[in-house]
Amino acid sequence: MRYHSQRIAYAYFLVAMALFAVQVIFGLIMGWIYVSPNFLSELLPFNIARMLHTNSLVVWLLLGFFGATYYILPEEAEREIHSPMLAYIQLGIFVLGTLGVVVTYLFDLFHGHWLLGKEGREFLEQPKWVKVGIAVAAVIFMYNVSMTALKGRRTAVTNVLLMGLWGLVLLWLFAFYNPANLVLDKQYWWWVIHLWVEGVWELIMAAILAFLMLKLTGVDREVVEKWLYVIVATALFSGILGTGHHYYWIGLPAYWQWIGSIFSSFEIVPFFAMMSFAFVMVWKGRRDHPNKAALVWSLGCTVLAFFGAGVWGFLHTLHGVNYYTHGTQITAAHGHLAFYGAYVCLVLALVTYCMPLMKNRDPYNQVLNMASFWLMSSGMVFMTVTLTFAGTVQTHLQRVEGGFFMDVQDGLALFYWMRFGSGVAVVLGALLFIYAVLFPRREVVTAGPVQAHKDGHLEAAE
Amino acid sequence: MELTRIWLTLLALTAATTALAFVPGPAAAAALLAVAFLKARAILGGFLHLGRGSGWRAAFTVPLAIWLALVWGLHVI
Amino acid sequence: MRVQDLPGEPIMWVLIASELLVFAAGITAMAGVRLTDPAGFAAAQAQLHGWMAALNTAILVSSGFCAALAERACHRGDGRRARIGLALAALGGAAFLAVKVVEYAGDLRAGLGMESHPFFTFYYLLTGFHAAHVLFGIGVLALVAIRLRPEEVQAGAAFWHMVDLVWVLILPPVYLLG
Repeated sequence: MRYHSQRIAYAYFLVAMALFAVQVIFGLIMGWIYVSPNFLSELLPFNIARMLHTNSLVVWLLLGFFGATYYILPEEAEREIHSPMLAYIQLGIFVLGTLGVVVTYLFDLFHGHWLLGKEGREFLEQPKWVKVGIAVAAVIFMYNVSMTALKGRRTAVTNVLLMGLWGLVLLWLFAFYNPANLVLDKQYWWWVIHLWVEGVWELIMAAILAFLMLKLTGVDREVVEKWLYVIVATALFSGILGTGHHYYWIGLPAYWQWIGSIFSSFEIVPFFAMMSFAFVMVWKGRRDHPNKAALVWSLGCTVLAFFGAGVWGFLHTLHGVNYYTHGTQITAAHGHLAFYGAYVCLVLALVTYCMPLMKNRDPYNQVLNMASFWLMSSGMVFMTVTLTFAGTVQTHLQRVEGGFFMDVQDGLALFYWMRFGSGVAVVLGALLFIYAVLFPRREVVTAGPVQAHKDGHLEAAE
Repeated sequence: MELTRIWLTLLALTAATTALAFVPGPAAAAALLAVAFLKARAILGGFLHLGRGSGWRAAFTVPLAIWLALVWGLHVI
Repeated sequence: MRVQDLPGEPIMWVLIASELLVFAAGITAMAGVRLTDPAGFAAAQAQLHGWMAALNTAILVSSGFCAALAERACHRGDGRRARIGLALAALGGAAFLAVKVVEYAGDLRAGLGMESHPFFTFYYLLTGFHAAHVLFGIGVLALVAIRLRPEEVQAGAAFWHMVDLVWVLILPPVYLLG
């Protein structure tokens, strides 16, 4: 850590990790509701649990991106953050808003109130005052990081990162626009969350990955930047019109089926490019960085994003397929692995990289951290495969054979039990991760004996 | 001069396309697509400077030829 | 086959390849859907004005020729000829769009809209998307004509040639293969 203000990231990551724990625990509760539908049906109805699960995911990922920016920017721009005070105020607003959201969702105290009550749009249920708070915090953030970037060294990593963040903030404004026409409502609604995950968040992802590759592999900046621009170009090219794969189903004209199908088919390209990028950089890299866990998370991120977002996305993006699978467990399978691979692993990779530096100690906790990667990732892959099978059966019974929704759900019980099991693995992995980055002060597994060669490099002894 | 030659080639190929448009049948369809391929190759090589040497021209024209064959196949079945 | 061997900006080539792939996917989808109703597709296609498309091909390749000349002039340092070439190329684009407007107006007057038949959905999507690129390309040509930096002119011309290239590939499947 070369700049004092990089420590801001620590506070962001702490809050993000806390929300991460909340998110996966709510996920587990929902997994249990799937197998035992009356569980907490009065206290915590499924839709409320789902809101908390998805909202906390998005908020902790946002906090992860903000924290990542506060860590990366000083190092790239070679100067301190413009105003650490503003950064903490921004975090304060987010924490307040998050608490407000949780209380509003759980107790619904101001039902129907225009400012204080929860708004009904899926994923955008936050009461208006929280939405305004997020917008204010976002403006503070963009002011703070743009001022830092403008005064410092300009690099491709900062440019792409800021481009992604500006896009994120501007697209948030559509959360305030809620036309009475349901089709228009849904269309603008997709512009928030969907143009985030398939558009501007990919830019943020590429920039953070590029930073990690620069640090972990020591590859030339020039090489990294070339890759970065290709990834950005293909992401925007495919992602913006690719969002059209939703439009027909919400009421837009039929030709959107083809625009959406064709462009979204190419959304796999930037994810493939990111995976190739990470592996080529590691292959070419000369640096033997001690933080192996960060490398595992980075590579895991690109592979799981390729499969979760790329392959599982393509699986049901063609409208002839989506006609049958829309909104089944296939969607849930894709959603879980895509978010986990692309964005959860990304933030966890950066947290793994930064934490030892911010806590000013060696990356001691490698083994526990890597164990958490394998536990969490296997759990998530298992869940994805389980839900894919569940979705296939569901599609056949419900959409092809015409069975009733709840009858079919009953028939999927075995899959839901398996999903619950994989959810347990994910939660344990998440808790293990949080423990591994925050607490151990020494390595849990001692390294084996080494032998020194004449040229000074060390190798494991036979 | 070389650019002029490419331009005249493209115009001649366009004339060929127009003539072929009036001929029915799978062979004429193949000829139309072959003419389109030649136009594409002229644009890639002549206007976009994809030289023969580096292999990049083939990287574009070979998939293009395979794809045009596919389009022809879909047309005649 | 190294990236350095690609003429001009590598990112332009990423764009060119992406555009080609998208249009190829669209044309392939059309050829696939055509199999469900060959007679209907042939009848729908017979209502188009192929001669306007042929005219537009001649216009567009000539316009591409002007862009290529402009690029060469710019590399020689001949700014005046470069600007004239770019202006003629853009003019060709405008002429292409004018013909296109006449063509679309005729189609619409004949009651042939986007939803009239699956063929027309593809027809409007493919040619409309291409026409949008022509419009955008005119803007790009104007933009690179301001500063006349050789590498920018080359990139602008490359975009224009891509638009040209896409058109010669759209022409037979959409207008001619009945």
